[in-house]
Amino acid sequence: MSANPIPNPKPDWSRLVGDSLKHHGVWHTYAKLLEARRAYPGDLSLRGYVEIVRNTIVRDFLAHPKGMQAVPKLSAEFMSNFDRFNLNAQEGYLVSLIDGRLDVSKLILLSPFDPFNTVFILAKLQVERAITVPQ
Amino acid sequence: MTTSRSLVDNLPQPIAVVTESGGVDYKNGAFDETFGTDAIQWLKEAARAVAGERGWLHGFFVEGDDLQTIDVEIEGRVYRVDRILRVTEDDVPKVALSFEDVTREREAEQAKSDFTAQIVHDLRGPLSGIQGTLEFILSADTKLDTMYADLLQEAQRESERMMNLINEILDFSKIKSGNFIVEQEPVRVAGVLKRAVRSLQQVAARDEVFLISAHGRDVPQIIGSVEKLTQAVINLISNSLKFTPQKGLVSVGAQIERKGDAPEAIVITVTDSGMGIKADELQSIFEKYKQSGTKSLRGGAGTGLGLYIVKQVVEAHGGEVSVASVEGVGTSMVLRLPVRRAA
Repeated sequence: MSANPIPNPKPDWSRLVGDSLKHHGVWHTYAKLLEARRAYPGDLSLRGYVEIVRNTIVRDFLAHPKGMQAVPKLSAEFMSNFDRFNLNAQEGYLVSLIDGRLDVSKLILLSPFDPFNTVFILAKLQVERAITVPQ
Repeated sequence: MTTSRSLVDNLPQPIAVVTESGGVDYKNGAFDETFGTDAIQWLKEAARAVAGERGWLHGFFVEGDDLQTIDVEIEGRVYRVDRILRVTEDDVPKVALSFEDVTREREAEQAKSDFTAQIVHDLRGPLSGIQGTLEFILSADTKLDTMYADLLQEAQRESERMMNLINEILDFSKIKSGNFIVEQEPVRVAGVLKRAVRSLQQVAARDEVFLISAHGRDVPQIIGSVEKLTQAVINLISNSLKFTPQKGLVSVGAQIERKGDAPEAIVITVTDSGMGIKADELQSIFEKYKQSGTKSLRGGAGTGLGLYIVKQVVEAHGGEVSVASVEGVGTSMVLRLPVRRAA
């Protein structure tokens, strides 16, 4: 007698992501989705859920009253203690462009990364308090 | 057994049991009556490989293959051949096939498709003229009264919607008639996405929605149709724009899947911050005539064919589609296209 293993049912990502966004916010949900992608590499829809969360992060950043004309500045904390910030190469490059005068639209033009990823990195730097975006 | 045999013998539909090499193991009276002795010849031809391409009969013998039915031209007429049964007797695989003359149905479908194509072509000409005129008036350096400018913009929006409907009907009629052929040309996917985004940038600006690219220039080429893939991505972006409120964001991304160092597939995503799709509608969103229960923010209902056509285009490229959505947060359409090298 042989028995075939019953494959695990696909999680209800729509509900899980919705609940996680509501209770834990975008960055926590984003980190959890990256973990889920490693656990379910063949699930194409998971890529979509990751993008929905990234999209929300970028949209929230652009919701700044000045939008693309907002001018990011390096935070006092970053200037005095930048060793604390464990920046990767992309984040480090973008930080090097921030001079307190260039607005988001100009940073997008100067950045070697695509517009979406440039804003995503800025949003990450903001949440980590490496930069501030004054109103 | 004898009764069953006699039943099949006397069925009005031609039925035959054949081997993979085209040998006839059994045929009923209707088969003899319809095809006579010539059947031996064309069955052998159907089994033979010509220039590396196996004949249509082979498809019915592939284990795990889903080929159940195929249209075949036999002596100037079109027959729908259905596989009724696949058996192995004395280690020889055999299939039972039934044949139905569908010549008239296919001719009627072709006539309908030709008629649709002609009508669509005739509608597109004047509509392009209207669109060009509206665009000229709105972009010309003339001071329009706000009310007239709003009305002209509304006319422009509606003409775009009508053009989309016409294009969808044309694509659908091509799919239905089997004339949906995907060219085999090198496609720069980054170029496809750039063109699609550029073509809708004005619409996004008018609707006050951010439309942003989320891909680099180093996206590899694939083999397929530039025109059809561009249209598929345009369909997805314009759908997203319809469901995204002001100050919302639509992003168009591409990621590369690798096997070792070599690129294996490209995953394209079109993501919006719209109202999302209900969980129970997600499974059927790519079916024809299916429309989300969510009401579009701009313009009326479409044909319900847009996403169905996108799926057909992607599958014709050997790819697959998927969708992710969270109600109240947004939706992401995901297309996975294999990277095939030119032969």
